[in-house]
Amino acid sequence: MKARKYGSFLTAAITATVVTGALLFVPLKPLAGQDAAKAGGKGGGKGGAKGGGYQPPAGPTPRKADGKVDFSGYWARPYTPDMSQFATDMNGKPFPNEDRAARGQIAPPPPPPDPNAAPGRGGRGGGGGSRVLPYTAWGASNWKAYDPTNGDYTGACLPFGLMRSINSPDPLQVMQDGNFMAYLFEQNTWFHLFPIDGRPHTKGIGTWFGDSVGHFDGDTLIIETVNFNGKTRLDTNGHPHSDQLVLTEKWTRPDLGHVTYEMDVHDPKTYTQDWKVIDDMAPRQFVLHNDQHIMEYSCEENNKALYEGRIKPPKYDDQ
Amino acid sequence: MKAKLAVFAMGLLSAASMFAHHSFSAEFDSTKMVTLKGTVTKVDWLNPHIWIYLDVKDDKTGAVASWQCEGGAPNSLTRNGWTKNDLKKGDAITINGTLAKDASKTCNASQVALPDGRRVFAGSSNPDLAPKD
Repeated sequence: MKARKYGSFLTAAITATVVTGALLFVPLKPLAGQDAAKAGGKGGGKGGAKGGGYQPPAGPTPRKADGKVDFSGYWARPYTPDMSQFATDMNGKPFPNEDRAARGQIAPPPPPPDPNAAPGRGGRGGGGGSRVLPYTAWGASNWKAYDPTNGDYTGACLPFGLMRSINSPDPLQVMQDGNFMAYLFEQNTWFHLFPIDGRPHTKGIGTWFGDSVGHFDGDTLIIETVNFNGKTRLDTNGHPHSDQLVLTEKWTRPDLGHVTYEMDVHDPKTYTQDWKVIDDMAPRQFVLHNDQHIMEYSCEENNKALYEGRIKPPKYDDQ
Repeated sequence: MKAKLAVFAMGLLSAASMFAHHSFSAEFDSTKMVTLKGTVTKVDWLNPHIWIYLDVKDDKTGAVASWQCEGGAPNSLTRNGWTKNDLKKGDAITINGTLAKDASKTCNASQVALPDGRRVFAGSSNPDLAPKD
């Protein structure tokens, strides 16, 4: 099933490349084994069976001495700037398409399909465009008002926060021992360390990445994170959350080379109902690269856009 | 033909690793495109974005204007095959990009045509220009 999905993606990629001829380019001196890192897990993997691209190492799910699944590795992840595209309610039903011209508004019915149009990739529920998440009044107002031109915390090199870091295109290295797991994000050289032995949350103050605790349910690692400071956003497009966010991540590793990733959002201040992004499409699958490791990334090194005033720092209520 | 398509698809996929240090629209106006033909005066191979500085000569008046264009992050460009030495002072290049909102001589580079004729993706995070992932 997955092989068919990746094959479809490769076909769509080639089609899109031909269609967008004006943007064609060739990479400089491609490095061995790098292509799927660039693919970020979309084509990175079995798509290579047709196109000759990267294929992750094959083998059974690795385990620790105690039998628990080991998620350690360098994971190329799909850049997910707009989580709403892949969001559904907790029963798997997609939300309505969003009108691009009016943020937060449901799109008008689409025109009838052109019978002569070439087949496209499509997406969950049609088109793969942005969806209207189930906002509360506060959430809708926040989403409608958001304009990164008026202040962009990531442009100011402030911490992305947990979900936006997971959604970023830069690689993630995971290290795991018996009691702890560490996300090592290449993006800005951030880390997030948390226990995975079933202990409860601490009663800490709100933080950028929140307070995470994990436990195993069979071969699935479930990570729940609370105590966010409410200063971050879920994705590059800026979908909102509050300090009431409870984020649940579910990691499974069906084989050596892949992780499937699901996340559930519970945030009663921002959303009227829980929603999730689940890996029933290739975009939420992570691909192993055991020939690489993350590199240093110093966001403050030369952040000219901020220094020269083209990006404004954010303003928070407690400042 | 198949081989060519595979190469192009590889390039497309490689660009799926965008460089999202921040929201593109915070700094650039995706409706304002620019093509700059000029001579490289400096390259900053630094985080969070590389910067290419170039002098652009107006063919009609002969006036020279100094521009600066943002590329991707060094790590990501390295993984895409760039090296620090691929662009050097004095190189004649063409940049296709997007103008900054503040009307300064600043752009976000989506594509760079190198002196040897190769056109390379520069790591733009412009959602309208970068190949879709």
